[in-house]
Amino acid sequence: MKVIWNLGWRNLWRHRKRTVLTMSTIALGMALYLISLALNDGAHQQIVESVVRMGSGHVLIQQKGYHESRGVERFLEPNQHDDALQWLQESGPGMGVEHVVSRVFASGLASSADGTSGAMLIASDPGKERTASYFAERLVEGDFPEGDSAQAVVGQGIARKLALRIGDRVVLTAQAARGGELASALVRVSGVVRTGVEEFDEMLVLTPLSTASTLLQMEGGVHQVAVILNDAADSGRLADLAARAFPDLEALPWDRAHPEVVDYIRIDNAGNHIFSIVIFTLIGFLVLNTLLMSVLERSREFALLDALGVTSQQRFLMVMLEATVVAFLGAAAGLAVGYGGHLYLSIHGFHLETFMSGDITVAGVAFDPVIYSELSARRVLQTVSLVFGLALALALVPARRAAKPGEIGILGRN
Amino acid sequence: MSDQEIVRLRNVSRIYRQGDQEIRALDQVDLTLRQGEFVVVAGPSGSGKTTLLNVAAGLDSPTEGRVWLKDWELGKLSRRERARLRLQEIGFIFQAFNLVPVLSAEENAEFLLLLQGLPAEERRRRVHAILKEVGLEGLESRRPAELSGGQQQRVAVARAIVAEPSLVLADEPTANLDSQTASSLLGLMEKLNRSHGTTFLFSTHDPRVMKRARRVIRMVDGRIDQDQPIEGGLQSSAAEATAESVARNE
Repeated sequence: MKVIWNLGWRNLWRHRKRTVLTMSTIALGMALYLISLALNDGAHQQIVESVVRMGSGHVLIQQKGYHESRGVERFLEPNQHDDALQWLQESGPGMGVEHVVSRVFASGLASSADGTSGAMLIASDPGKERTASYFAERLVEGDFPEGDSAQAVVGQGIARKLALRIGDRVVLTAQAARGGELASALVRVSGVVRTGVEEFDEMLVLTPLSTASTLLQMEGGVHQVAVILNDAADSGRLADLAARAFPDLEALPWDRAHPEVVDYIRIDNAGNHIFSIVIFTLIGFLVLNTLLMSVLERSREFALLDALGVTSQQRFLMVMLEATVVAFLGAAAGLAVGYGGHLYLSIHGFHLETFMSGDITVAGVAFDPVIYSELSARRVLQTVSLVFGLALALALVPARRAAKPGEIGILGRN
Repeated sequence: MSDQEIVRLRNVSRIYRQGDQEIRALDQVDLTLRQGEFVVVAGPSGSGKTTLLNVAAGLDSPTEGRVWLKDWELGKLSRRERARLRLQEIGFIFQAFNLVPVLSAEENAEFLLLLQGLPAEERRRRVHAILKEVGLEGLESRRPAELSGGQQQRVAVARAIVAEPSLVLADEPTANLDSQTASSLLGLMEKLNRSHGTTFLFSTHDPRVMKRARRVIRMVDGRIDQDQPIEGGLQSSAAEATAESVARNE
């Protein structure tokens, strides 16, 4: 074994440039693949965060059927709401709960002196909403309402349509949750928000929970308790626990609450897989060509080894060892370069503005044009296994060639 | 020379096919080599000399007939077993030297011993002794590309003999060497033949080799045309006459 290893190792460095080039090809392929995976995962994570932090959550606790119907009458009674908050307070710390925001949703009308527009009312505790969601970050004017004051933050689109400015009055009209009567409330504009999703900005009205509760006659009830977690991966587990704790309610993880986002990520992943297959096929042919070349040009040596008594298994092993070393060093270099690239992009981000202008919306949510890469240990392991597996699978071709009986005639030639 | 049979070919034919054409490289060959023989196979190009060596080594399989190396019938062995047998029993010397280019002279000589799994101390002892014997002291660390043709062939001889094989097959070993180097190398092989009792089978056109042979086999069209022991040993007038006769007939 030692002699086979020794011979293989020396053979590798016989054509130093070629070996380095082959390793570089593997390293480059792996580095690019790792970076593209990291950007992809980072982008997907940002999409999920954008969805859950723009009026939603990683886990949503609500009345059964609310997700389907969005009926204003399907709200959590105050006791149900309190129980849910109590349960989250007790279970939350162990589940990585970062924020809990109770929300009321309603469709209605917003009227100003300049006109009337359809409105989507989202009501919550302004203090909690400010830290739990991205709305505060997207304020272009003014601020969130103070406490329970009769104020509202409106979307930039609706502000434009109704010619609203900070301090202007706006009347909100909606169907009450109890009784179904139409009710109105007067609020003053405290801020203007721009989410980046035009349709959303043309209807959005954010108010304190008390304003909506009075308007909709919900008397302390809410439509939804949204939970924001440290790690989106815990959503399923928390939703399961919540569903068991509140069998009469609906507890949805983000991926069930927003299937369109899951579909988008799936389609995007499929596209990336196809792209990866193309890239790895090209790299694979390049590596195969080099490995095969290195065996074919040593036909005389393999014939000699055969004559001297080196078995076909030993010759096969020798070529596989050579390929393993090339794959190992190439993968190590690729990992270093790829991880370095990921670290850079996780801090400085990849700026999509270079390639496109204007707001970017993905699956109905505004997407930050700066992608910060995310790389998990699982992805690294997957990539290393893929590169190693591919290199060794490709090496089977030249290794089998080397294992064939030597062309004995070649030994007599000068 | 003892009576132990090292190589035995019985009724061996090797037929190659090129399209519709059939080429009989060996045709009904019977041959026995005994331990300690120093045998030359002579004959014109295409007469079957190299095929005879390849078949005797188990590198090529006869189309008909049977081949034994000592007590092993090659036709009954697997490829792996034939490879192991070559490793233990046969040394090769080629016209084109055929050293492993990435190994030094010492490592080339040591190569078979490593494959045989000999302990390091034993390997070192044998390799130093053989390199000294073939006159390569001081050149141990040089790679083939840094050695002259004669020096490379000495390494090849060292490699062939260091594992103490029963049989050394030498295919045109002097064809790429000048007279002085060839003579020196032949002297060396002859000495090894006498001191180690190793059987040597040469395939050659070279009268210098034939003059040293103690048995000359002349091949024509794949058949043994003449198999003549040379009485009186090396450099005898009879041997010279035979060598010249064979050389003339080529």
